[in-house]
Amino acid sequence: MDYLSLIAYGILNTLFVLLISPLFISLIKIVKAHAQKRRGPPILQTYRNLTKLLKKETIYSTNSSWIMRATPLVNIAALLVASLFVPLLVIPQPNDLVGNIILFLYLLAMAKFFMALSGLDAGSTFGGMGSSREMAISALIEPVIIVVFAALAFAFKTINLPDMFRGALASNVLVDPILILISISIFIVIIVESARAPVDNPETHLELTMIHEAMILEQSGKNLAMMEMSSAMKQLLLMGVLINVLVPWGLTSDFTAPSILISFAAFTVKAIVLAVIIGLFESSCAKSRLFRLPGLFAVALFLSFITLIIEVFA
Amino acid sequence: MLEILFPLGLASFLVAILLPLFASKLTNSKTPRQASLIFTFFACIAILAFALEIILSNKSFSLLAYQIVPSFQFSFLVDRLAAFFLALVAIVSVAVAIYSVSYVEHTEHDGRKNLIVSFMNIFIVSMLLVVASFSMFSFLFFWETMALSSFLLVMVEFEKKDTQKAGIFYFVMTHLSTLFLIFAFLFIYTVTKTFDMTQIRADPIINSVAFAFLFLGFAIKAGVIPLHKWLPYAHPASPSNISALMSGVMIKIAIYGLIRFLFLLPMQTWWGILILFAGAVSALIGVIYALKEHDIKKMLAYSSIENIGIILIGIGLYVVFSVAGIEAIALLALIGALFHTLNHAIFKSLLFMATGSVVNATGTRDIEGMGGLIKRMPTTGVLFLVGAVSISALPPFNGFVSELMIFQAFFQTTVLSNPFLEVLLIVALAMFAFTSALAAACFVKAFGISFLALPRSEKSKNAKESPKLMLIGPAVLAVLCIAFGIFSLQLFGVLGFSFPLPNMLFIGALLGGFYAFIYIALREVANRRERFAETWGCGFPTQTFKMEYSASGFSEPIVTILKSIFRTQKKSERYFYDDKNVIFKDGKAEIQLINFFEERIYLPVAAVIRKISLKVNNIQRGDADLHIAYAFVTIVVFLLIIWWFA
Amino acid sequence: MIIASVGNIAQILIVLILATAAVIIMKRDIRSLIKTYSFQSLLLALMALLYFVETGSLTLLFLAIIILVSKVVIIPRFMGVVQKRLNIKRDVKFHFLSPVTSLLASITIVLFVYLAFSSILSELNRFNSSLFLLGATVGMSIVFMGMIVVFTRKQTLTNIIGYLTMENGVVLFSLFLTELPLLIEVLIIVDLIMLTLIATILAFGIDSTIEEFHARLNPFHDSQKKASEEIKDLEAEQQ
Repeated sequence: MDYLSLIAYGILNTLFVLLISPLFISLIKIVKAHAQKRRGPPILQTYRNLTKLLKKETIYSTNSSWIMRATPLVNIAALLVASLFVPLLVIPQPNDLVGNIILFLYLLAMAKFFMALSGLDAGSTFGGMGSSREMAISALIEPVIIVVFAALAFAFKTINLPDMFRGALASNVLVDPILILISISIFIVIIVESARAPVDNPETHLELTMIHEAMILEQSGKNLAMMEMSSAMKQLLLMGVLINVLVPWGLTSDFTAPSILISFAAFTVKAIVLAVIIGLFESSCAKSRLFRLPGLFAVALFLSFITLIIEVFA
Repeated sequence: MLEILFPLGLASFLVAILLPLFASKLTNSKTPRQASLIFTFFACIAILAFALEIILSNKSFSLLAYQIVPSFQFSFLVDRLAAFFLALVAIVSVAVAIYSVSYVEHTEHDGRKNLIVSFMNIFIVSMLLVVASFSMFSFLFFWETMALSSFLLVMVEFEKKDTQKAGIFYFVMTHLSTLFLIFAFLFIYTVTKTFDMTQIRADPIINSVAFAFLFLGFAIKAGVIPLHKWLPYAHPASPSNISALMSGVMIKIAIYGLIRFLFLLPMQTWWGILILFAGAVSALIGVIYALKEHDIKKMLAYSSIENIGIILIGIGLYVVFSVAGIEAIALLALIGALFHTLNHAIFKSLLFMATGSVVNATGTRDIEGMGGLIKRMPTTGVLFLVGAVSISALPPFNGFVSELMIFQAFFQTTVLSNPFLEVLLIVALAMFAFTSALAAACFVKAFGISFLALPRSEKSKNAKESPKLMLIGPAVLAVLCIAFGIFSLQLFGVLGFSFPLPNMLFIGALLGGFYAFIYIALREVANRRERFAETWGCGFPTQTFKMEYSASGFSEPIVTILKSIFRTQKKSERYFYDDKNVIFKDGKAEIQLINFFEERIYLPVAAVIRKISLKVNNIQRGDADLHIAYAFVTIVVFLLIIWWFA
Repeated sequence: MIIASVGNIAQILIVLILATAAVIIMKRDIRSLIKTYSFQSLLLALMALLYFVETGSLTLLFLAIIILVSKVVIIPRFMGVVQKRLNIKRDVKFHFLSPVTSLLASITIVLFVYLAFSSILSELNRFNSSLFLLGATVGMSIVFMGMIVVFTRKQTLTNIIGYLTMENGVVLFSLFLTELPLLIEVLIIVDLIMLTLIATILAFGIDSTIEEFHARLNPFHDSQKKASEEIKDLEAEQQ
């Protein structure tokens, strides 16, 4: 096995995810602002926010323990490892080191577990509330995610994400109806996992409407920078899964400079389009009541089950 | 070598059993108990070495110990499967023995401490001998010994009413399980004409009847819904080291029995579907009930029911794929289930032992009275966290690897040719995924509310770290949790299995590497200053524990969403002074949690049995004349029979 | 690369129709229910148009036009007018089954319908494509899901939407199976029935549940009974 190309792929993919993910946070904010007839922040604002946070001092609560110190690092480490599992520019050679889709999911779950613990750590009511709602929602969306992944695994006959992308690239059907249906379910999963309306409001600090923000309320300084970065990375990775399964044009398997550049351009364009769609979708609906969310998730589960039934019987 | 280790271990156990009983007559100190536990330790090491040798070299060991009559004999045969379970029991018992050295000293009654140690040893040795048995007679004999010794251990604090109820319930249910097993074994005897556990070949209906009885018997002992009700009463009532053994090991012996007889019987698909759905329903309902519990040991008991459900899901998949002929995936599912058995034994015992330390230090089993323990009992906190992370199946710990194997078996159901079966399996997959996520929520609550933030009671504020031996026991298991997770691929390689699993060593190394890298990078790049301040309490002058989230508040969203399963009943009554219902006098509102299984299933069945037994009781009234009349009638009937058949 | 074939587009349309039926089961806001219903009928019209393009049969074109006119435009507009006049905003109470349970039940219904049809159609040996099986199954399932909407909701307007969904399901089912001219006649008749029902609501002013309808039809019943009892008491007192 060519370890050198694997290492190069790892470095390339991780750096790309780290550099590009804050861009899409600001982009979605700009889209939502324009929908409200405002101008929105400049597109590089998230980078400036992160740099500012790194320069500030970190404040720890007297009630908190080492969990508060460890959680941001665990989050970033888990998401960096997860970013190796989703090839965004170049698909690595077939290997069994990275790519298992269930391991990807559980790495995200590990980040969520520690984030929920850190919410409880400072002893504030907001943190506990955020943790409790977050664990409830992530428990409800988990069957949907697993059924969607099972539908993907059935469609591509593999459970390895890079192999799925390779299969999508090699298929000669422009638009596969099964994949369109799976994409709708993956879109709903992206909305839930990146804490966007109607599940959560990412720009509020009102206790009635916070879920994700509540858990990271007590973080400050470089810890907060790491938590914001890991949410941005999670969003980009899930967007990458959707894009590379549905429209993998431009994605390449060979490691040469021109093809990487084409892949980079193609991915950026597709991701911008998806970010605009997410922003418009967010602007078009209000945040739902917490107890109305199971209904929404049941529709997503229904859709993914029907997709699976069609795949099984066809 | 093998022939020495097994009897050596058993002899060591014998010493360990007798030592506290007899030495207590001579001296009242704790030395005989400690000596006995040292013997337990060495006995378990011997059995572990014995089991490892059998697993690695693939030999098998058989021993005919004692023969009462030719069909009733105590014979033992240890092959790889039995050796695996012997190793499981031994590993957990080693840790529990170390833990018990200090833990037993903290129970109140002196005379009972010797009994606890002695019966614990009887319990462990009977579990080992059940697994090693070759003849069904010795299986049943040691099964009964295991049940009786655990019953006595549950009843250690028999002054409390709860313990009495728990003990009697457990006693009845375990004998019901033995009853079903006796039926099954007698049935098998009529087919195979021997009590040895050998291959059974008969026509499908007879196989199915035997399987049904066996499954019922083992399901009661393993705690499968709806036969699980004894578990949440019995496991919390016993001392924590015994709970660790019961929850970690005893219910696995039932799994061993199920797998052993599945190997001996020719399997059918509907068995697999039954086991699969019994497992899926147990897992889901187990974890849903665990979410509502505030008693930390009851929550761990319900979590055991959930994990038994997961193991049964794996076994069900094994049967389904095996009957369909796809051996590779069947093997993946079976080894996944067995690995989860081992993992659950390790991390559940770890959790029970850590809980025992916590309950000891704070004097309460209620989570709502704990809090802030991570600063007062740091090592116990880390141990509990390792257990909680493992049971929530997070990489790279061991719980994740076994659940991954079962997920991978599920994701490959396309190879089955029956589409209806595939969709059924996908439904079970959705239930399994839901269970897994709810388990993570449950343990965030357990660890977060008990250990983090501010203490919620005086005793929690003054809690002290446990003595060293109560930390070393669980620490051994915690190290194994991490090791079995990280070295899982290598472990399977050594045992001769090659599965397409990710290399957790690599993932663990990557995680650790990135953690260290980002930490060092930020030390250079970011601001290093730190400050400590009080948590913002929305303007209140001081922060008290009342501002934290409580346990019932934490699980409230999930409980409300799933309220049709919890079946709470809300009753409200209002009393008025006048008859037009205008002037309000008094009111009452009640929220009742219906114990669905207890009130709708168990109590009616018990009532019916009671009625029947009262009627039957009339036959034996203790009246001497009536008994002589019975004898008279019997002799007359016999005379008639002799005349008829002569 | 093959650009999507007719079969692919049909598959996407069919599943989107099923998704709209799921949304109808779940939603509580009446305006959005009406909008979802008209979107569903639009998809149905597109499907008929697609088959017209493929087979060239004129009856399909007529069908598409009728669906477009009556179900996408007229009936939703009419219902919107009724809703505005009577000022009904939401239908909050669910009867028998909560929305999540109804959706889970619908999944099992789709599964069973699929099983039933795949065993029947293998015997029939006609129209042996999987698209046909898919269309028939989804059509049948939408009929069942419409039925679920009818018996789980209390407001009359949502009941009507349930019946209309059932009718859409029958149309979808028949697109793949029966002779078409008969279908068009049936379609017109059912639409007329629905229009009559809506006009009845408007005329009688039922703005809520069926119980209130009965109460409004017999407004003097209770007070009449009370009056006669009081007269009897007075007479008894006087004697």
